[in-house]
Amino acid sequence: MMVRYKMYNSFGLKSLAAMLLLLILSSSISYRASAETTMHTNNWAVLVCTSRFWFNYRHMANTLSLYRTVKRLGIPDERIILMLADDMACNARNKYPAQVFNNENHKLNLYGDNVEVDYRGYEVTVENFLRVLTGRHEAAVPRSKRLLSDEGSHILLYMTGHGGDEFLKFQDSEELQSHDLADAVKQMKEKHRFKELLIMVDTCQAATLFSQLHSPGVLAIGSSMKGENSYSHHLDSDVGVSVVDRFTFYTLAFFEKLNMYDNASLSSLFTSYNPTLLMSTAYYRTDLYQRKLEEVPVTNFFGSVMETIHTDSAYRTTFSRKTSETIMPLQQSVEHDESRQLINSNVQDQTSDTKIEDKQCPFTRRWNAFQDKLEKIERIDSLVNYGLIIMFPLLLISTWLSR
Amino acid sequence: MAILLSRRSNLLAVVVLVLCQLFLYAAVSSSGSVLKQGGGEEFSEELLLKPFPDRKVLAHFHFQSRAPHSSSHGRHHHLFPKAIAQLVKKFRVKEMELSFTQGRWRYEQWGGFDPLSSNNAKPPGVELWAVFDVPQSLVDVYWRNLTHTLSGLFCASINFLESSTTYSAPELTFKPSFGNLRYGTLPREAVCTENLTPWLKLLPCRDKAGLSALMDRPSIYRGFYHSQRLRLTSSESGSDEVDSGIGLEQTLTVVLQPSSWRTGKTYSVETNIQPSWSISSIFGRNIPGKCVIAKSSNVYLHLDNGLVGELKNLERENAKYVANTFESEGFQSNHAFKISVTPDKVFEEVDYLHGKSTSVIYGFSVEKYSDSQPFDLGLTWKIPVVWSCQQAPLHASRFLMGSGNERGAIAISLESTESSEGLPTSHIIDGRCELRVDIFQVVPWYIKVYFHTLQVFVDKQPRAMADVVDKIRVSPSKDKVSPGVMEMILKLPCGSKSAAFSLEFDKGFLHIDEYPPDANQGFDIPSALISFPSFNARMNFSEDEFLNNSPILSKFQETSPVLSYTEVLLIPLTTPDFSMPYNVITITCTVFALYFGSLLNVLRRRVDEEERILRSRAGRKAGWISQLLSRLSAKLRGRPQEQPTSSLPYSFISFRLVLKILLVASIAVTWQYYFG
Repeated sequence: MMVRYKMYNSFGLKSLAAMLLLLILSSSISYRASAETTMHTNNWAVLVCTSRFWFNYRHMANTLSLYRTVKRLGIPDERIILMLADDMACNARNKYPAQVFNNENHKLNLYGDNVEVDYRGYEVTVENFLRVLTGRHEAAVPRSKRLLSDEGSHILLYMTGHGGDEFLKFQDSEELQSHDLADAVKQMKEKHRFKELLIMVDTCQAATLFSQLHSPGVLAIGSSMKGENSYSHHLDSDVGVSVVDRFTFYTLAFFEKLNMYDNASLSSLFTSYNPTLLMSTAYYRTDLYQRKLEEVPVTNFFGSVMETIHTDSAYRTTFSRKTSETIMPLQQSVEHDESRQLINSNVQDQTSDTKIEDKQCPFTRRWNAFQDKLEKIERIDSLVNYGLIIMFPLLLISTWLSR
Repeated sequence: MAILLSRRSNLLAVVVLVLCQLFLYAAVSSSGSVLKQGGGEEFSEELLLKPFPDRKVLAHFHFQSRAPHSSSHGRHHHLFPKAIAQLVKKFRVKEMELSFTQGRWRYEQWGGFDPLSSNNAKPPGVELWAVFDVPQSLVDVYWRNLTHTLSGLFCASINFLESSTTYSAPELTFKPSFGNLRYGTLPREAVCTENLTPWLKLLPCRDKAGLSALMDRPSIYRGFYHSQRLRLTSSESGSDEVDSGIGLEQTLTVVLQPSSWRTGKTYSVETNIQPSWSISSIFGRNIPGKCVIAKSSNVYLHLDNGLVGELKNLERENAKYVANTFESEGFQSNHAFKISVTPDKVFEEVDYLHGKSTSVIYGFSVEKYSDSQPFDLGLTWKIPVVWSCQQAPLHASRFLMGSGNERGAIAISLESTESSEGLPTSHIIDGRCELRVDIFQVVPWYIKVYFHTLQVFVDKQPRAMADVVDKIRVSPSKDKVSPGVMEMILKLPCGSKSAAFSLEFDKGFLHIDEYPPDANQGFDIPSALISFPSFNARMNFSEDEFLNNSPILSKFQETSPVLSYTEVLLIPLTTPDFSMPYNVITITCTVFALYFGSLLNVLRRRVDEEERILRSRAGRKAGWISQLLSRLSAKLRGRPQEQPTSSLPYSFISFRLVLKILLVASIAVTWQYYFG
């Protein structure tokens, strides 16, 4: 902070802005550099089905399929927050009690013997969803209902339901807007609640839900572009409703071939979506994500790593180690020569125009800046009026001096 | 150690010392093995099967764990679930019962008098009550925290019970309490696999071994009724050494329909023959031996007194044809039915009160069965038998009256059943024969019940309230704060055939945010609880060592009042059109925009506006200074009150400029002249 204040004193407004930009850039780059060197330490999944009512069976089947997949790939139940807006498995209309299928061949019961639903029924609200993401719970809320992630977590956020242009409906009665989602994600970032976040949305016009996101480390994929619908895959005539959506169906088709140790990359997942089969265009947003998709295995988000901490003395050192880790990234990168070079080269690329200005003498620079400002000012007449008013005290001072 | 030392001092020989050490070692090792076996904790599993008159089969699982008070054994448990022990300790729970139920117990067909139905027939959804060992002012706080914890533990929305509008504190009828009991129900709560799984995880063998291995989820949830219950009792370690500790009783009651494929072909024409069934046919699985850490693992087959009486009648009729008798052969293979496994024990109920037929329980021990030789109990019927279960003294039902979305009435009707006819003489009080009935009813606040409208009918004749109602406690609902609670203790005359009570209510309005997403479905009023404290639902068995070791049978022998729950009522409330506010806002905004837009356009439009803009644009081309000046002049004309000279007419920009410079100069000159 001291550095910033000093700069404020010595330079002008513009240079200050440039320097701030530089500082932010460098810090983010250094963070990235350190991020590349360190693996994430844990995996979390938040799986949300937002639709109520029996005819939305497929949304619950979607969510449960993803639940099964991430569990199969290694994320334990205590790190999965499962939100189901209605009870389909024991619904009176379900011909197969305590079973949910995502395929009409009924080979796989998604609602097996070990499903742990954390939020269900009326509890699945926008408020609770945002509380889970941001971690702002009442004190009494049990740990199983909290997302206890940290700055080393990779989080998979899967949402399905009925959506539209920049919103997702919850329970057919309230909406989650893209701004809400972006704000929640930003808050998570500020609170160091994730290292990387993959948002996967299977709704109509899913891509619009990502439009407001601006936090680094976020990767988003949606089932359809703006103006497109996401369609269900097929109808099960025994159950009587559609049982799975197309996007999720093909996602699962991709994952069924994988096991915990496969190294399939995210880009291979993203390119596996065929628009003609999906009947919509899968959209993914990567501009906030720093790593190359080809180098990131899908198991970074859909699988799990478990950090094993070796301690000589029982239970004591873990806490201090963790706290030191939070401060580490910045310091590490400063000490690291390679990463510093990386910072410099990147900074030169991106702030070249400010560098040119730096070569001019300070007065002309400031004058230029003033002129630029002047051009931008729209209410020029008010400026003139202020000028006139300023003249009066000048006049007063001059007369007082000359007296 | 003292003995050892004394022996050491007495005997000097080394050999003796060695012997002593050996003795000590043996003693220590034997006590160690005792500790290892249970640590004072014990677990037992039992299953009771019972055929119902309406061709269904009841399966009642009963698991019981007990742990001594935790202070004596630290925080570690061998068999007892740690989550429950922590919960008891943290929330100071003295007694608690949580039940998840789906379906409705049919009192007419499945009976309402026996301990099984009194203890295990529960209202649909979630019912939770708890007694806390804390001062009264803290009870609500502990209750709230407990609901949250239970919701996390059992994957259910029990945390909705934290709101003061959902729970109540009964005092008279539910259970004798001293203000630290809280009771709440969620009639709409869904019950499914995710609730059963954590419940099973509390068992030491989970569903991997023992009787709980039978719990195939689809076959359980296909049933007509299933109720999973968890009951906790904890007592401080104090004077009573035997009872101190935490007792956990987990029961799962399922009513299943056996598929009738095994019915004999000869009876295929007969419609009223009972379907034959076996454990494997109703659950699709067998019992693979006992859970090895269970103290006892038993299966019982219960034939209730109605059935036994009917069988005896049949037997008497057929006595000349069938040689074997009920008493001698143990009944397992007679003319009416066949049990596939020979029972280890047969218990007969000793009924002093009725003197009629008594129920029979066959006991089977699972201990000698294993994976290779699983236990599969089957019951094959040979002849059709029709019987009925014993009913509660009065059959209670509750219904709604009135129509429309404004007001209505709740009525509770009690109809006498056959079992109340032969009332024992012990109920005669002060020369009058009376039947005591307790009613406990909670009504949500948006159903505004007028308690002064309580009307009582006995044998369809209106009666004064004071004649029938012995005691009444009413706490009226407060809007959005607390529900309406009504507790009544009734004294009905013995011979009465029916009694009815009605209460009128107004339907309230909810705020738009308070409506659930599926408000059109209607709102539930939780079940009312009807209890008959003068009747005891207990079975008397002849004294047997085995009975005390069996939790299910000792439970049956406990004295408990006969309880029954009424139906949940569904009340449609006026629901707003939820898209209406949006529509109204949109339309109003459009109208306002059109009106004010056009009005402003008319009022603010100036004829020479366009000309002025054109002129200023022309002036802008003249250069920066002139542009600035033109804006300045425009400003000056726009605010004439600022400058006194601005009232002067302008025609040309440069003229105005000159004038302005002159103005400033003159001000400066005058200033200089007068003050300089």
